[in-house]
Amino acid sequence: MNVYFKNILRFCLIVILQVFILNKITLHWFTEPAGALFVPFVYPLFIILLPFETPVWALLFSGFLLGVTVDIFMTTAGIHACAMVLIAYLRTNVLNALMPRDLDEYMHQQPSIKNMGWVPFLVYSGFLILLHHLVYFVIESWSFSSFGSLMLKVVASFVTSMLFILAYILLFTRPNKIRG
Amino acid sequence: MRNFIFIIRRFFNLILFAVLEIICFILIAHSHTLQGDDIVSSANAVAGIAYKKQTDLFYYISLGKMNDSLLSENVRLRKLIDNYKTVDTLKDSAVHLALVNNDTTVHVVKYADYIYRTARVINNSVDGVNNYITINRGTSDGIARGMSVISGTGLVGRVEYVSAHFASILSILSIKQQVSAKLKDGTFKSTVWDNEKPDIFMMKDMPAEIKVRKGDSVFTTSFGNTFPPDVLIGTVTRGELNKKNGKQQLFLKPATNFRSLEYVYVLENVMRVEQKQLEDSAVKK
Repeated sequence: MNVYFKNILRFCLIVILQVFILNKITLHWFTEPAGALFVPFVYPLFIILLPFETPVWALLFSGFLLGVTVDIFMTTAGIHACAMVLIAYLRTNVLNALMPRDLDEYMHQQPSIKNMGWVPFLVYSGFLILLHHLVYFVIESWSFSSFGSLMLKVVASFVTSMLFILAYILLFTRPNKIRG
Repeated sequence: MRNFIFIIRRFFNLILFAVLEIICFILIAHSHTLQGDDIVSSANAVAGIAYKKQTDLFYYISLGKMNDSLLSENVRLRKLIDNYKTVDTLKDSAVHLALVNNDTTVHVVKYADYIYRTARVINNSVDGVNNYITINRGTSDGIARGMSVISGTGLVGRVEYVSAHFASILSILSIKQQVSAKLKDGTFKSTVWDNEKPDIFMMKDMPAEIKVRKGDSVFTTSFGNTFPPDVLIGTVTRGELNKKNGKQQLFLKPATNFRSLEYVYVLENVMRVEQKQLEDSAVKK
């Protein structure tokens, strides 16, 4: 399948998944049933899964587009876009630090557990998701007056998002072909 | 100039990043004013259509739950309305307004207190001579024989047979059952149904001098103790003068659509037992 077509399809799938299913689920931290509502964010996965050799400007534009799309549906006016542009910009640096070889050598491959191994992939996606959540929730609340609950929200959302992202990856990755 | 272009090419990604972030912050800042929030919001066309499609889908699934909540809400509202229905015994007229308590010139009694129970129609007929409607409530829910049944739009009938979990209602589409009715000006007459169509009721032998216009409402009266007063039976569709005896016939369109009846209310008159006791003791003497 064409790599552009595949990614456009994934864009739509992730937006639908995020907006129509996950946004309807409001979770709460189990110690305080009434407080700290949050929604798991899976859509940064689109940026995480783009091929290795994607240029930074393309990452930035697609991150911005995805963020604005989610913003439109969630009426958050640019907060998602802001966080997405940041992680799109930092993605290449994180990958460069984690991968043993230069990124241009991994042609036509995308970051995945198969290509990177469990630990590097989890570190890579975890770092970007944590950054995204931190930026998102800080801009959303726009104050550090309730720092504790803010951090609780970030950590709780981060854990849930990572669980959902792992589920997504395990669901939508083809199993290894048997090599003869 | 060459240096400038070189710098831009070298830091292109950083500049693009900064520009996009600035755009984001402008959007965020806009949304914090009252006038803003127009560009990026779920009120725009695309997101609106998408959300509407989703709501349409889930609307159908949750219709049952919605109906039940609306029914219980209706029962509560009807109960509230009844609290304002009282009788001024000095003027002998129904009062539909809240009366001030410290007004000593009017003496008010609450003459009837109705308990409303919702029920779902599980069987329905409109084509017989005496039509019965079965509902999913019975004695275990407090339904008893003789309670009157109304729908959201008008009169339906009277409970005739009750079992533990079901009740059978004799609807007013019945030649057995005549309903005492009154026009807006207070003329009393009973409506009859001549088993032709579930859409036509008649009021026969009305005095010809009564002016009735098309669309006039016909309500129940409290005579006969079967139905609560002032429930809409139907509206007049046409009047016809009978040449032989000089009286007119009115044709009514029932307020309840018996063909598509889904939910009904069963009314229990709390004062009925007391009234019946009194009337029976008067007859014995």
